Amino acid sequence: MKKEEHIMGKIEPAIPFPNSRFVHQQTLKRGRAIRSDQIAGQEIQETVGEIRLDDPRLSCRDVSVFYGDKQALRGINLDIGRHEVFAMIGPSGCGKSTFLRCFNRMNDTISNCRVTGTIMMDGRDINHNETDPVSLRVRVGMVFQKPNPFPKSIWENVAFGPRIHHLAKTKEGLHEIVVKSLQQAGLWDEVKDRLHQAGLGLSGGQQQRLCIARTIAIHPEVILMDEPCSALDPIATGKIEELINTLRKDYTICIVTHSMQQASRISDRTAYFHLGNLVEVGETKKIFINPLHPLTEDYITGRLG
Amino acid sequence: MTGTERDKLCPLLFIMQITLIIFSILLALSVAAYFFGCRRAVAIAQGNIRNLHSLPEHYGFYAAIWCGLPALLVLGLWTVFETPIMTHLVVSELPRTFQELEPGRLNLVINDIKNMANGIIVSEETDPNLLAAADRYRSLQSMGQAALAVVVLTLALGCGSVALYLIRAKQRARNRVETIVKGLLFVCSCIAILATIGIVLSVVFESIRFFKLVPVSDFLFGLKWSPQTAIRVDQVGGSGAFGAVPLFVGTLLISLIAMVVSVPVGLMSAIYLSEYASRSFRAVAKPLLEILAGIPTVVYGFFAAIMVAPFIRDTGSRFGFDVASESALAAGLVMGIMIIPFVSSLSDDVINAVPQSLRDGSYALGATQSETIQRVVIPAALPGIVSGILLAVSRAVGETMIVVMAAGLSANLTLNPFETVTTVTVQIVTLLTGDQEFDSAKTLAAFALGLLLFTVTLILNVIALYIVRKYREEYE
Amino acid sequence: MNKQLKKRYAADLRFRIYGMSAVAMSLLFLLLLFVSIIGKGYTAFQQTALLLDVYIDSETIDPEGTRDRAVLSSADFGAVIKQAMQKIFPEVSDRRDKRALYRLVSSGAEFKLRDQVLAHPEQIGKTLPIWVPADGDVDMLMKGSIARDASETDRPLKDKQIAWIDHLISEGRLKKQWNTTFFSAGDSRDPELAGIGGALAGSLLTLFVTLLLSFPIGVAAAVYLERFAPRNRWTDLIEVNINNLAAVPSIVFGLLGLAVFINLFGLPRSAPIVGGLVLSLMTLPTIIIAGRASLKSVPPSIYEAALAIGASQMQAVMHHVLPMAMPGIMTGTIIGMARALGETAPLLMIGMVAFIVDIPGGIFDSSTVLPVQIFLWADSPERGFMERTAAAIMVLLLFLIVMNATAVILRKRFEGHR
Repeated sequence: MKKEEHIMGKIEPAIPFPNSRFVHQQTLKRGRAIRSDQIAGQEIQETVGEIRLDDPRLSCRDVSVFYGDKQALRGINLDIGRHEVFAMIGPSGCGKSTFLRCFNRMNDTISNCRVTGTIMMDGRDINHNETDPVSLRVRVGMVFQKPNPFPKSIWENVAFGPRIHHLAKTKEGLHEIVVKSLQQAGLWDEVKDRLHQAGLGLSGGQQQRLCIARTIAIHPEVILMDEPCSALDPIATGKIEELINTLRKDYTICIVTHSMQQASRISDRTAYFHLGNLVEVGETKKIFINPLHPLTEDYITGRLG
Repeated sequence: MTGTERDKLCPLLFIMQITLIIFSILLALSVAAYFFGCRRAVAIAQGNIRNLHSLPEHYGFYAAIWCGLPALLVLGLWTVFETPIMTHLVVSELPRTFQELEPGRLNLVINDIKNMANGIIVSEETDPNLLAAADRYRSLQSMGQAALAVVVLTLALGCGSVALYLIRAKQRARNRVETIVKGLLFVCSCIAILATIGIVLSVVFESIRFFKLVPVSDFLFGLKWSPQTAIRVDQVGGSGAFGAVPLFVGTLLISLIAMVVSVPVGLMSAIYLSEYASRSFRAVAKPLLEILAGIPTVVYGFFAAIMVAPFIRDTGSRFGFDVASESALAAGLVMGIMIIPFVSSLSDDVINAVPQSLRDGSYALGATQSETIQRVVIPAALPGIVSGILLAVSRAVGETMIVVMAAGLSANLTLNPFETVTTVTVQIVTLLTGDQEFDSAKTLAAFALGLLLFTVTLILNVIALYIVRKYREEYE
Repeated sequence: MNKQLKKRYAADLRFRIYGMSAVAMSLLFLLLLFVSIIGKGYTAFQQTALLLDVYIDSETIDPEGTRDRAVLSSADFGAVIKQAMQKIFPEVSDRRDKRALYRLVSSGAEFKLRDQVLAHPEQIGKTLPIWVPADGDVDMLMKGSIARDASETDRPLKDKQIAWIDHLISEGRLKKQWNTTFFSAGDSRDPELAGIGGALAGSLLTLFVTLLLSFPIGVAAAVYLERFAPRNRWTDLIEVNINNLAAVPSIVFGLLGLAVFINLFGLPRSAPIVGGLVLSLMTLPTIIIAGRASLKSVPPSIYEAALAIGASQMQAVMHHVLPMAMPGIMTGTIIGMARALGETAPLLMIGMVAFIVDIPGGIFDSSTVLPVQIFLWADSPERGFMERTAAAIMVLLLFLIVMNATAVILRKRFEGHR
């Protein structure tokens, strides 16, 4: 119940007015009108750009996601390579976050959510019955939109993952992992004197880097980032982007972002989503300088979204 | 009090009825004032209510309030102070010998007088002085009633007609009415404070009287409790033992058993219902648990006394234990069952208040559901859960009916759950039900126990509410 | 790694099972409670009656033939009943046996006969078939609560009496009937004559007083605190007070009632007025808290819209906000009333534990309430009272379930409209 609200809340904001049903219907109608204007005559049939890669880390074929009867993603085909930063952009509600959550099966936690199609990771289907979501999530880490450190100390936050996965035999080994992760996340110098204070006491940017440190502490292969900078100020954002830049040599990073500048700064390839469809995929430079699809162009030039 | 005794209370009843009649007349007068006020306002406006500052009914209300409120105040004050004033008057006319009695004795005499005035024949031989006083009391009473009726009705009529007369078109009737109504609302909201003050005063005063008879240290640290052996009225402060430690230990033992049952079961139920259960199961199970919470405690008491206690006794004897038929275990167990839904609904609230983002964060790190709950959700909800448990403890300590019906009366100082123990609440009930002389140490002890109970639960509640408040701030 | 994972999943499953068994345990307790109470109590809704052919002898009850009501109502109907019993068993002649025989009829039988004769004086001198209540022990035997095969010393009915009972059964003179006495009568020392009528009336009167006091005051306080109160220390104090009051043990309220309402104000003991006063103090916090929550949930746009068309603050609240909050307030009130209906401990303090036979007619009459009646009966040693206690609990629970269900339905209906 609560979990659905969490997702559905984004899509259908409740309007606190007694006859909200009426008002809401009107907005819906208007929304539909805009939509049909925009897409008039350009029914999206197939994704434009280079979908396929040789030796992909992740490879999606015909992936659709449904919330109850509502289809949020329509038949996505896409490959994501090794050691690349892959950005996903698009207007709100286009399904990019939903798509991201398919990679570590976070959609399993939403009761009425259904995923169809295949997603292969290193040649194995992650949605297969025998694939265990817990071990999958060890390999595919995730950083969320709002920093969500646990209400524990900084040290405990980072040690959480290694501890449950028994990555260290001794307390010293655990501490080593914590230190290394914090160093990798560029947070070590700021927190080394207060490792046992609450993680919630850090600033927003520090909290987000703590979450990244927490994620890399279990050595994932892929890191998913769901708008990691949307709750942060520009300076903190700069630091996170710097961090992503240093992480790219060790990890595959998929990042959902609202900021086109951010996508162009940090990503190798970019995908543009629109209303549950993958419109265009390509090298970031190409997408931003010379988009192939008119919808992409509209979005990038600011006419849409 | 039997049915036949009731008929003798007639004079007292008569007074109550007079008050009720006066009240009804007042009500009728106010309603009349309202209608006259409305009519007069319309008349002043010459039919066009646009000429008025306020709506006609505001003028009506204004007149009605003036008619009813002052008179009602007098009536209320009279009802409250009637008895003390009359008592004072009657006592001041008694012969010296009576007035020089110590307060406890004097109170008994006053009670006798009142009873005689109300037509109850007191069993002892009646002193002519007292008979005279009773007559005096009765005549004062009827005089008072007559005076009251006259004063109240005159006041109502007078104030009402003045208010009616003063109605003017430009009068800010609505504002005045609203100010008064606001004042009334404020007074209503203060009743809660009055109730608290009433509780504190009523237990504190009697407790002070008790502690004059029995030293505080004897009460708090004494190891022997046997009020039943104590005291006829004329030998106050006699040999009764009022050491309350056995009661504290009994209360704690039973509460502890209740907590051992209710905290794990309640908490795990809450966790299962909020984290694991499907929506349809939750929709069925939650209301059922709420039924468990809505069952009156007297029903649990019956269940404990008739089913659980004999069952535990028989089971115990089968395994060679000697279990008392009113064992602490039976009372504690059933009390625990009663508190399960309390713990579970409070925990459910706080577990649901833990943000989903924390769960997501944990799942994304590859934690299983139980790891997420044990290592993230519960620690995050801990303050709320702790305060819920504190409230549950306060509930267990103050719970009365289950222990009255299923726990015993004998104040054993023991921690053995198979033995009979007694609790603070049981003793309050036993001391205060049945025949009572209001001034014996025995009855006063009940108030001292009440004070203790109130203080302990108050502290628990305040801490719990404070933690809850703190906790809410963290997530809002 | 894989082994590790298996262990973790096993732990997960274990935890889940703990949770499931906790829920199952709670529900099991609920089931156990209901089954045991219904199992003990359902028999009380039937009552054994005895058919007697009573010859209403005018020699015995009205030797002078005046048919005066005063003479009739003090007449010895017990003797008439005894004659009727003697007629069925003419062979019983020993004095002790006779006494044992007469004990099979309830002491309520003569009152029933008296009322019948007073209503129809023309029946004097005739033989009248009449169903009278059988003694409690006979009732228990008929319901199987007294074992026939127990040894004679262990049961209240002797072998001879059982033989007579069997004879009565074979003649069709003993029959279980729907127990109207249980619903209409007040308390009694004899289980077969005791009923919850008095307690129900007492509960009703007490709740009436409670509702009359706590609803208006509670709503007024909620409105004030939610809409008019300035944010200051005093308001804070009131709020803390209300929250605390909601958690004060109920018995402490009883002490307050005893010390203030009875000893200070001189209100009568055992009366519904005092019970109502005490219970309304206990119900107030519930109503205020529910009322505030309900008022808070009314969208501010309503209030602002009313102000915008020129209503005063008071008018906006009274005419627009309060009506919209009413369903929520009612729900809270019903729940509070349900709790008050089940409350026992504070009423013990103010003397509602008295043994009261009469059915109270007003709020100043001595009375008891249903939960206290349950408490009193639960203490009685007679077997007959056990089933009556359980039956009274069933009635109480029925009331509570109906009230709570109403509250739930009310909430559901109006949630939909928002």
